[in-house]
Amino acid sequence: MTQHKIRIVHYINQFFGGIGGEDKADFRPEERLGFVGPGQVIQASLGDTGEIVATIICGDGFFNENIEEAKSIVASLIAKHKPDLVIAGPAFNAGRYGVACGAVAEAISEKHAIPVISAMHPENPGVELYKRHAYILETGKSAAEMRKVAPQIAKLAKAIFDKEEITPETHGIIPRGIRKNYFHKERGAKRAVKMLKAKLAYQPFKTEYPMPVFDRVAPNPPVLSVRNAKIAILTSGGIVPKGNPDRIESSSASKYGKYTLAGLTDLTSDSFETAHGGYDPVYANADPDRVLPLDVLREMEKNGEIGELHNYYYATVGNGTSVNNAINYAKSIARDLKNDGIQAAILTST
Amino acid sequence: MDLENQRRVKELAEKTGAQNLIVVLGGAEAEASGLAAETVTAGDPAYAGSLAGVQLGLRVYHIFELKEYVDAQVYDDQVGLMEMVLDIDAIIAEVSNMRSMYSKY
Repeated sequence: MTQHKIRIVHYINQFFGGIGGEDKADFRPEERLGFVGPGQVIQASLGDTGEIVATIICGDGFFNENIEEAKSIVASLIAKHKPDLVIAGPAFNAGRYGVACGAVAEAISEKHAIPVISAMHPENPGVELYKRHAYILETGKSAAEMRKVAPQIAKLAKAIFDKEEITPETHGIIPRGIRKNYFHKERGAKRAVKMLKAKLAYQPFKTEYPMPVFDRVAPNPPVLSVRNAKIAILTSGGIVPKGNPDRIESSSASKYGKYTLAGLTDLTSDSFETAHGGYDPVYANADPDRVLPLDVLREMEKNGEIGELHNYYYATVGNGTSVNNAINYAKSIARDLKNDGIQAAILTST
Repeated sequence: MDLENQRRVKELAEKTGAQNLIVVLGGAEAEASGLAAETVTAGDPAYAGSLAGVQLGLRVYHIFELKEYVDAQVYDDQVGLMEMVLDIDAIIAEVSNMRSMYSKY
């Protein structure tokens, strides 16, 4: 049972803090006593169980452009009030706001061991990056849902304070990717066969290990004239200049690299190698053209089979790389290629 | 509704009296128009602006609902084209729904 009022500090961005829109996104962290903006409806939902003692407001632009500094300022402003719990957001589908809420959660939960509640749309990048550090309630995309989300936040706050076990099933949070061992009364094989039988009989069953959902990308219309097209080559096979200058990770890559092909007709083991940790690198290292076929493309260029080969290639390691990261790389690479007047790209894997 | 417009509406309501004010919306889309209507009647649903938790209950209409009160030539010049391309029924349904639920006047 709740012994005393839960002391809560609330983190919000410049918009919800009433400071202003995008023009005020550089607003530096400031503190207000009591609740502000959406804190009003959260406080109403909390009733006597808790009190928002302070609100920290920071512009999304300032936070994301100075993430380490912002994290540390906001965390110390929050910690000063010795809260039992921190609420960050809700951020709905606002990407930078979601990242800020997640980063605040990371700093507060790690340094001060204070639980953090947030609420976001599942596609908010803050979810993927920081879901381990906060209890993130699932919301829709629009902030117009505030009235609906506030009571859920209040309920979760009480449950956390009362030390209830918080799970996605019981409290509507987004799975945090935390596994807990326990003894099931039936062994795995028996449970699996039960599930299979249910599936074969078109009966409902519940998987114990949901698979990630991948999106489907509709293909673009075909390139009308490859002979006149400027073509770029990209790979998720990890081909990088020798020494891997950008230190692209051998698995779960957090970045991609852009490297020049100017003046090159062939990739050799003297100057290129693979950074990929998910396949036997011997053959790719011996002849990197096996993954990034520059030699063949230069021949095709010479023979007029393609218009022109772009003088840069892009590479990352597609080994356990998160779909969200991959989508972000693709967006940024595609923008780059479009600016460079590229009509088509060849993407090779391993 | 952006923070600035919320502030203006609130100030006007305080100055003229909520019962003397009519808000006319020009939103091009049903959901956005509905949210704006909600903001000036029941309060800002996002709890961000100065109308957060403030139930002004104003009379609110979309310009498409006021066609018969506007000079035909002016209406035609200003919104005639948009009237042809937008989903008027959906917009009016959203706005009038908010009005009937929350408008006090």
